[in-house]
Amino acid sequence: MNLSMNAPALAFRSVTAGYKSRPVLDGVDFTIAEGEFVSIIGPNGSGKSTLLRTATGLIRPTRGSVGLFGREISSLKPRERASLIGVVPQKLESPMAFTVAEIVMIGRSGPRGRWGIPDSRDHDSAERAMIYTNVLDLKDRLFNELSAGEQQRAALAMALAQEPRIIMLDESIAHLDINHSQEVLRILMKLNREEKITVLLVSHDLNLAAQIADRLLMVDAGKLVSNGSPGEVMQEELLSRVYGCELRVRKDPYGGHPVVTGTLDAILRRATSRQCLHVIGGGGSGIELFRRLLIEGFQVTSGVLNRLDSDAEAARALDIPCVLEQPFSAIGADSFEAARLMVAGADGLVVGPVPFGPGNVVNLELAAEALKAGKPVWMAADIARRDYTLDHAAARMAEQLKSGGAVEWRGIQELMALLQHDVINRQA
Amino acid sequence: MSLKQACASGGDGCRPFPPTGSTNRGKALLLLASVPLLLGVSLLLGPSGLGLPDTSTSIGQAILSLRFGRFFMGLLVGAALSSSGTVFQAILRNPLAEPYVLGVSGGAGLGAALSILVGGSMLGAIGLPATSFAFAVITLMAVYGIASQGGASPSVYSLILSGVIVSAICSSFIMFLVSTADIAGMHTVVWWMLGNLQPGSASEQVVSLLIISGAIGALWRLVPALNVLTLGREMAHYQGLNARAVTLSSLLLATLLAATAVSMGGMIGFVGLIVPHVMRALFGPDHRWLVPASAIGGGAFLVLCDAIARSLMAPIEIPVGVVTALCGGPFFLIILRKKMSHAWIA
Repeated sequence: MNLSMNAPALAFRSVTAGYKSRPVLDGVDFTIAEGEFVSIIGPNGSGKSTLLRTATGLIRPTRGSVGLFGREISSLKPRERASLIGVVPQKLESPMAFTVAEIVMIGRSGPRGRWGIPDSRDHDSAERAMIYTNVLDLKDRLFNELSAGEQQRAALAMALAQEPRIIMLDESIAHLDINHSQEVLRILMKLNREEKITVLLVSHDLNLAAQIADRLLMVDAGKLVSNGSPGEVMQEELLSRVYGCELRVRKDPYGGHPVVTGTLDAILRRATSRQCLHVIGGGGSGIELFRRLLIEGFQVTSGVLNRLDSDAEAARALDIPCVLEQPFSAIGADSFEAARLMVAGADGLVVGPVPFGPGNVVNLELAAEALKAGKPVWMAADIARRDYTLDHAAARMAEQLKSGGAVEWRGIQELMALLQHDVINRQA
Repeated sequence: MSLKQACASGGDGCRPFPPTGSTNRGKALLLLASVPLLLGVSLLLGPSGLGLPDTSTSIGQAILSLRFGRFFMGLLVGAALSSSGTVFQAILRNPLAEPYVLGVSGGAGLGAALSILVGGSMLGAIGLPATSFAFAVITLMAVYGIASQGGASPSVYSLILSGVIVSAICSSFIMFLVSTADIAGMHTVVWWMLGNLQPGSASEQVVSLLIISGAIGALWRLVPALNVLTLGREMAHYQGLNARAVTLSSLLLATLLAATAVSMGGMIGFVGLIVPHVMRALFGPDHRWLVPASAIGGGAFLVLCDAIARSLMAPIEIPVGVVTALCGGPFFLIILRKKMSHAWIA
């Protein structure tokens, strides 16, 4: 085969394609370089699967053309095509009782001779594929008796046995249990990084796609609406428009990739109580508090927090009114004054298990203000252990607060119980 | 010893695929050995029990050649029906698929009935199988056409549903033909419909032999493709198969086999449905084994049933179609119950 090494692995040139009465893809244009890991995302019915079928030559474009490693896909013989593309379907269904080894061997039916008798090369290739996907132990088991994850790995082994240069997967991971999907993803990453196999993953799971792919192609109503790195494609506005519902994007704290969530918490927030609690958080101590208090139906405010602090990010994501100070700076007079006003409007104050240093110890003054105004204060116990001020200012403050009527809590369950008790009494 | 070492030392043990092959070989030999055994039984078995007819008389010779003819017909018809059923089951990925369900046998039967009554004999030995085949193909096309209303390739359910409908129409036509035929014609057609392996003329037998062995041979060349097609047409495409061409040619070959069998032996049910299942239970789903095993197994089964049919209530002959169902049913049920998990998981 005369395949150019520099040609893109897959090239869609203004492709319009679809079924008899119903065009699905409309002028789709993109290229995928060899060795890339690309994921196609989009809502149900947007044309993802049609795109895949067109890319594999199952559907011919009515306009435009599809190139595969520099060749027109329509000009490839079926066997040549199978030696370039391996496809893992959504679910491989084998009505008959084939063993895993037999299923994987079917992946060699293209390269095999007319009589279909496998030679040692076929055996080697099938075995390598099974080792790679960790199904060698299952080779004599019946395919239909495997778990979904094992079946998916066996299907991947079958595609690998074809020794393709590009592997295409049709939403075949997202429905697996997380341990199985992680294993399949690991195998795919390995194939992509070590064997330089190009991967095209059609996915309805945005987060999974963003986590693993180098590049995302977003399809909506048969059109390519976005093409770029996960960070570029996963924009709140675009996603919300394409999926027709309000979505939020934030960065994964560990991987740094974008993570999409719905806004169900906004519904939870519209709960019963009009009681407003001010939370003193910071350094991640407030996230769980915010969430639980919102679920319990409180209105929540927070501050003073430093910008970029994880609690500040969480507060932003949860639409919690919040007083912010510059990153890594001590709390200044202006922001303290703003927070004081905020506490004045609250019905009570919760101090989270925050570490205190010279920069944020002033936040405890807010608690003192609240006590002075006759508002209840719930304070996470053992402040002394989290006190990093030079003169133990925080610990001393805490003692004063305690003697002034602040209630100590250990663990979020205890806090919730205290709140229930106190707030309900107060309302009564 | 690690896997790599095992491979390097050249032992066959590292091959992930030997088990089915080696055990299947033994079973295949047993199956093959049953054929000469059955030949012996068929030649010896007569209305008066076991015994070779006196070959010094011309009557004895005639009896012997008749018995051989029955054996030969049974083998051919059984092989054709059974391998046809195997192919239909693979292509349609459905354990219920067989020539009867798809209306192919019905169409072939209508063609054969027309040929017998109206007179296709003017075409010579090829007349009957040719008319049967033509009608069977028309039926299959009609079934496929009805099933694919709406454009897309038809689902298995719609195929079988329209197969049953078309089959019913064909049998009404046959009944109409029978009711309007004269006594002699009616007798021939009814007797033929019940299934009967009375050998035709020598030239008819030769033509049938050529058609059936040719078609089974051609199918055997398609077996790797059949294996792939059991995963569905889309997967077959991804595996580098011209799925449309393979589907079409194997459907035509299976139809040809069924039509020829029907034109030779009438409406013999059960063989095309159950023998492939039993062979799948014994040999596994690999069509490289399955197609030849079904052919031999189907032939042997029908020969056995015919031997029972003509000797059990001798001198009265029971239609062989009755025997296939009555004798085969319980026997096959036992095997299927035991080994169903190795045959078909639906």
